[in-house]
Amino acid sequence: MWKIGKVAQREFLDTVKTKTFLLSLLFIPVLVVAIILLSRKMIESETGPRPPVRVGVTSSSEEMSTRIAGAFAAHNESHPQSPLALRPVPADGNEPSPPETGKEKLRQGSLDVYVVLEGDLEGKDGTLYFYTYKTKASQLDALGTVERVLRDAVIDRRYQACGIDRAVFQEIQNVPIRRIELGPEQGREKEQSRGQQAVRMMVPFAFMYLIFIGIVGMGQHMISSIIEEKNSRIIEMLLSAISPFELMAGKILGLAGVGLAVMVLWGVAAYGAATRQGIAIDIGADLLVYGLLYYILGFVLFSALLAGVGSVCNTIKETQSLMMPIMMVFIIPMIAWPVLARDPNGDLARVLSYVPPATPMIMVLRLASSPDIWWGEIALSFLVLAVGVLVAIWAAAKIFRTGILMYGKRPGPREVLRWLRER
Amino acid sequence: MHAIELENVCKSFGPVRAVDGLTVHVPQGCVYGFLGPNGAGKTTTLRMIMDIIRPDHGAIRLFGEPASSPVRNRVGYMPEERGLYRKMTVAAVLRYFGSLKGMTAEQLGRQVPAWLERIDLAAHARKKVEELSRGMHQKLQFAATVINDPELVILDEPFSGLDPVNQDMLRELIDTMRREGRTILFSTHVMHEAERLCDFIVLINQGAVVVNGTLDEIRAGHESRTVSLELEEDGGFLRTLPFVASVKPDGRRMDVTLREGADPQDLLKTLVERARVRVFEIKQPSLHEIFVRLVGGAHVEDR
Repeated sequence: MWKIGKVAQREFLDTVKTKTFLLSLLFIPVLVVAIILLSRKMIESETGPRPPVRVGVTSSSEEMSTRIAGAFAAHNESHPQSPLALRPVPADGNEPSPPETGKEKLRQGSLDVYVVLEGDLEGKDGTLYFYTYKTKASQLDALGTVERVLRDAVIDRRYQACGIDRAVFQEIQNVPIRRIELGPEQGREKEQSRGQQAVRMMVPFAFMYLIFIGIVGMGQHMISSIIEEKNSRIIEMLLSAISPFELMAGKILGLAGVGLAVMVLWGVAAYGAATRQGIAIDIGADLLVYGLLYYILGFVLFSALLAGVGSVCNTIKETQSLMMPIMMVFIIPMIAWPVLARDPNGDLARVLSYVPPATPMIMVLRLASSPDIWWGEIALSFLVLAVGVLVAIWAAAKIFRTGILMYGKRPGPREVLRWLRER
Repeated sequence: MHAIELENVCKSFGPVRAVDGLTVHVPQGCVYGFLGPNGAGKTTTLRMIMDIIRPDHGAIRLFGEPASSPVRNRVGYMPEERGLYRKMTVAAVLRYFGSLKGMTAEQLGRQVPAWLERIDLAAHARKKVEELSRGMHQKLQFAATVINDPELVILDEPFSGLDPVNQDMLRELIDTMRREGRTILFSTHVMHEAERLCDFIVLINQGAVVVNGTLDEIRAGHESRTVSLELEEDGGFLRTLPFVASVKPDGRRMDVTLREGADPQDLLKTLVERARVRVFEIKQPSLHEIFVRLVGGAHVEDR
């Protein structure tokens, strides 16, 4: 048994010490932080005013035109960074067809957007037409602004036409709402912002993602470590000292340790970052314990499968076609997570809970999204997972024992089946 | 007690019988040569001895214990396909393989530097394996094999791919280990290496024993039919003699091979009558010749 420990120790240290590992360890947090900082920077760095968006407007109503001019002026005053330039386009005589002059200007490029107010907009009728021609991607958000400003101008004019004071109306509409989550005891009430609710949605996902990274990410190391030992012909030296099972078990344990370390590191970092940002995340101790158990079982299952795959292949490339179906099972929860998070006790979630490779991720997601999952379901999922683990180890050990010494052509499925039947 | 006992060991890979009822006993403290052409089942047998693969039938015991027991910690094994972790340092590789063989930290602390000194790699202890030259790599491989101070050393084709310097080093090491009373089993298809080093030899072909014994025993069973001759005059008439199979010039001498069943004494009688004889020497059969005779020349390589 202690030989398994020796193998695990080497596997752990060797993986942790590689540069690629350190890079990948830092890569995702750095990437996340970089994206946040950059997007913040982008908003801040828009100090120089953008070139004004030239808006051609055709309105048949004098009153409306004045109001629009006022709205544009107000916008430009409050948003000096993204000015709008109003270019009235006089309506030609033959209404109601939209003026072709404006469209022509748009095509020539002297306008960025051309708006036609058609019909009786003041009388709660009529339509705003927004014409564009080869819109630049950089102006897409500005177009939204133009729409908002114009729509607001129309609404404002309508209030006036009906004789309602807008300020009064807004006072009527203003009903403050505060969301408060009760703690288990008195005095532990927590106010929840909108963001907080998003967090409640994200925490289960983050948990599942950590499990995913911990399992699948480490799986890559497993494959490359086996392929390395096979290609550099170390394997026979190793097997003269330890049994194939000890080698496999040591590898799985060592890499599980690495995965656990990564998960703890990222988990703590994410928790710390969230807390610093003032987002409260509560994670029950039971969730952490379950998460740990599911992770370890899931990792053993997955890496046993990979050990089997790795042992029959000679190159990383060869492993990829065999990895595909295994990876699919892991990707399903990643794709389906919004459905699963919204309905953690739904049919899909229930069924996937008992598909062993997916069990850890699904169960962690469910447990994190909804605390009231019947203990029987948890117990059953552990049972199914444990059986899956035993079957995977049994099969992988048999395949590993024979496959690891084979070079050259990859054995076919029939040959692998024959190995499984051997004693 | 024998160091290795193989009793009627069989192993098939699919339809191919790699080892077919092999029975070999290796006494302790000897150098035992495992000879045979390529594909004879040598590597398979050695792997079964090391419990890397399991026999279909038969029993394998090391020092009287089953091969799958901790007795393997007393054995050093160097496979034909060799490799070490390229990213690990030289000292770390030795420590790792030593620890897998059950060595304690204290033993490792003593043995690793000692071996690095012995193979002249002490200065490179902190280098990564991939930075070593090929020759250094081979030496390190050998040190990793014997780091656990094994009582039995099993070497699969140890001389293949070695440069001449390392070949000499390996021969010396084998010699030293023999003097220390260790048992060495090595496989080779290079006959002259076996001839030089081995006390006992087993020749296998197609997974079964063809001949087994000490070098002298094997030689005794295979009398030579080659006579090295030096005559004072031209020996052209030799070819016409009924019991001569072939004549090969060898410098001033010539090698005369007799037909099967012929007695070299008959040749000598004839020669005495027809020419003045300077040298008449019945050549000891080389293992190579014995092999060719037993297995058929097609499989055997020399050198």
